[in-house]
Amino acid sequence: MNLIVHDLENLTFNKIFNFNDRENYIISDNGSIKSCTGCFGCWIKTPGTCVIKDGYENTGRLFSKADNVLIFSRCYYGGYSPFVKNVLDRSISYLLPFFKIKNNETHHKQRYKNKTRLYVYFYGEQVTQDEMETARNLVRANGINFNVAEYKVVFTDTAEQAGREVAAQWK
Amino acid sequence: MEISIINGSPKPGHSTSGYIIDLIVPRISEGNILEIYNISRGNLQEGQFVKIQNCDVLVLAFPLYVDSIPSHMLRFMAELEERGFASKNTMVYCIINNGFFEGKQNRIATMQVKNWCKRTGLVWGQAIGAGAGEMIPMLKDIPMGHGPNKSIFNVLECFSANIMGKKAGEDIYFSPDWPRWLWKIQASFCVWYPRARANKLTKRDLYAAGK
Ligand SMILES: Cc1cc2nc3c(=O)[nH]c(=O)nc-3n(C[C@H](O)[C@H](O)[C@H](O)COP(=O)(O)O)c2cc1C
Repeated sequence: MNLIVHDLENLTFNKIFNFNDRENYIISDNGSIKSCTGCFGCWIKTPGTCVIKDGYENTGRLFSKADNVLIFSRCYYGGYSPFVKNVLDRSISYLLPFFKIKNNETHHKQRYKNKTRLYVYFYGEQVTQDEMETARNLVRANGINFNVAEYKVVFTDTAEQAGREVAAQWK
Repeated sequence: MEISIINGSPKPGHSTSGYIIDLIVPRISEGNILEIYNISRGNLQEGQFVKIQNCDVLVLAFPLYVDSIPSHMLRFMAELEERGFASKNTMVYCIINNGFFEGKQNRIATMQVKNWCKRTGLVWGQAIGAGAGEMIPMLKDIPMGHGPNKSIFNVLECFSANIMGKKAGEDIYFSPDWPRWLWKIQASFCVWYPRARANKLTKRDLYAAGK
């Protein structure tokens, strides 16, 4: 399965991309997402599931089912948009609270056995060189923390261009 | 100077961001007007925004989430960018803390804040990034400058002096002066297992798949 997280209007998204519902699970903004409150309930109260019941509580488990995670996000200061970041913040139950040391840095142990691939498409017209540099560093760090098999970062001016980029690869 | 301090931790009670803010406040109070805003306790009021938009020094304190700025903080910063600041001389400092041991894992969030500063047209001051964040408030009974509180003392002295002089400084990343292997064991035995037990969960339960 492909897990797709995007911050576009659903109508716009469906016009640009044609991902079917059978092989793809799409997470989009329905206006109801709450931000993480830092309670760690997803680790020590209801392990693997966020305690905030707003329809976005299962994203950690969805990561465990994904062969590929595709993210389409406007670039904000060299990172994800608030909605996409909100989804990621609510997904830390994908990992365990326990620590491991990898390349002499602390990271979390895995809750699940799967390894996904991470493809991030940042769109936005005036993304600066510094922001691109930050975004590349960010996705690399996410890739290490989420223990992905492979990651890729793509920048496009518009979401439509991102659509053309993925059309060939992901149809 | 008017100094606006943003506490970007979403925790309702004690947080490491709040704890570090409390350590900084007495060091930067003399001759200055300080206001602390808790952005996760509901939206700020118009008057509060106006004060922030007119401050001389802005201190952003927040935890690291998924290697970067937490989403609620990002929303707040985007709103500030949109509103704009009265003066282009407002100087921005940040205090980032993270759960992993190495404070340098906060460097990407620092890069983001620097990018935000450029877009918002403000002057960059300095970032400090503290590792093993959840441990830091647990060391409150050990005198500052001693044992595991040695580095944090030096960093806060230097950081506060820069704020007082409205000077830029090199970004500093640090961790408690404590062995990492011991911290790692303590995290499981002193934090996660007891908290799980308090919720009537066993160690094994913590490894369950999500529902
Ligand atoms: C959703 C979420 C994501 C986190 N991601 C990271 C991370 O990527 N790296 C890290 O070192 N710590 C991470 N942490 C740990 C926090 O940075 C750490 O608990 C911090 O001390 C909290 O600070 P506060 O008390 O000021 O809120 C994360 C915590 C949460 C709740």
